[in-house]
Amino acid sequence: MQMPSGWRTNHPLRRTLFIFSLAALVGVRAASASAPFENPAIPDEGKLPLTAGFTDIDGAGGAGLVPWAIITGYGTEDSYGANAHYTLVLLGDFRLRSYGIALGALDRVEASITQDQFSATGTALSGLTVEQRIYGLKVRLTGDAVYDQDSWAPQTAVGVEYKRNSGISDVPGVVDPRQLGAVSDTGSDFYLSATKVYLAQSLLLDVTLRYTNANEFGLVGFGGDLRRDRSVRFESSVAYLLSRTVAVGAEYRDKPHDLSVDDERGAWDAFVAWTASRHVSVVAAFVSAGSILSPVTHDTRDQNGAYLSLQVGF
Amino acid sequence: MFALLVMSCVGAQASHATLFDSMGGEPVLRAAVDRFADIVVADDRINFTFAEADMSKFKKLLYEQLCNLSGGPCRYTGRDMRTAHAKLGINAAEFNALAEDLYIALGKAGVPYRLQNKLMARLAPMKRDIVKPPGAPGAAFPAEPTTESQSPTPPSM
Repeated sequence: MQMPSGWRTNHPLRRTLFIFSLAALVGVRAASASAPFENPAIPDEGKLPLTAGFTDIDGAGGAGLVPWAIITGYGTEDSYGANAHYTLVLLGDFRLRSYGIALGALDRVEASITQDQFSATGTALSGLTVEQRIYGLKVRLTGDAVYDQDSWAPQTAVGVEYKRNSGISDVPGVVDPRQLGAVSDTGSDFYLSATKVYLAQSLLLDVTLRYTNANEFGLVGFGGDLRRDRSVRFESSVAYLLSRTVAVGAEYRDKPHDLSVDDERGAWDAFVAWTASRHVSVVAAFVSAGSILSPVTHDTRDQNGAYLSLQVGF
Repeated sequence: MFALLVMSCVGAQASHATLFDSMGGEPVLRAAVDRFADIVVADDRINFTFAEADMSKFKKLLYEQLCNLSGGPCRYTGRDMRTAHAKLGINAAEFNALAEDLYIALGKAGVPYRLQNKLMARLAPMKRDIVKPPGAPGAAFPAEPTTESQSPTPPSM
């Protein structure tokens, strides 16, 4: 069984993403020249800066590691928005590149496609590459994170992320996460997010519960010898709004420990998020992903490093 | 936990000035309202809703409202938000554009972002009364005179 080269496989998505980004920028420029908010086909870009959120590691609207109940894009309840993202995570012995597109409609539904390329850059695994594609869907259930300021109640949403690991390449004899003990190379995460902007305190709080058996976000397959099935995991984001365009915050994402070959632990980050405009956002973070595959790599140190994400859209 | 929250709220009210005072009182808030009026009139996203508005009356009422909401010594003499905006057909994007302009105006008047948020927190729930229900007719160039010019003249303060 031979895995095709990752980048070649992904060319269609990369090209789509590039064309989409250009179209978004051109389209938005054209739209802003016409009469405001009259044509429902023209995105209204009506949300306030920052309130559309960013793109998380799985391609969903959120911050860095954690999805938010907020629907991605700058479209209000009357309109739609979309964005493309490119995210680079540089850890001690590993590197993750992720890119994808997400669409938000009527401030109610969000759909996303993301492609991950995960590589080992150090240890005996150096050269190992894993590809994964993530299809996400999120539906807002209740509340309004921004406007219901007379209530403590958060905005809530449920989401599903279907993840398909397309295999391991460039390591002799290992082509599939199942060879490392994973039960499956596909899996679905289900999550419930509650997000609220406590405006009087300039705070954003998010709590997410995820029902998952993804090993290292799915990059090492799903389920394992220690636990086959999904378990509920806690995730949270806290952000302080420094200005209308800048927020700083921290996140924690617990992860299951289903594989004996991976001493998997929770991940956390500390981030700065900047909305340069409704078309461009950047998130930079220090991220600690815990040790990854340490029984294999014999490197038990936490995998720490930089998280950088660029988002363009409307 | 709840008791602690209540206590801290009571404590905060007892020991701190009103938001109105923290923001700088009447001079700062009047300056913010003046800036805001200039900004919305220049904002192509929403200025058509002010096309026939009496801006001096609008500024007076907005000042009263912001002063009152921030705990200042004012009474709002305009109509309630639902009645005032019923015929305008304001949509969510227009409401947000207005909010954004108010943020900018408060900033230009020297109100720190943290306090801007405190004031906006008191204004945000008004979205329910100001924004038209989804599917209702839009605001496109209303023939009706705007809210403020229909309001009775407020008593002088």
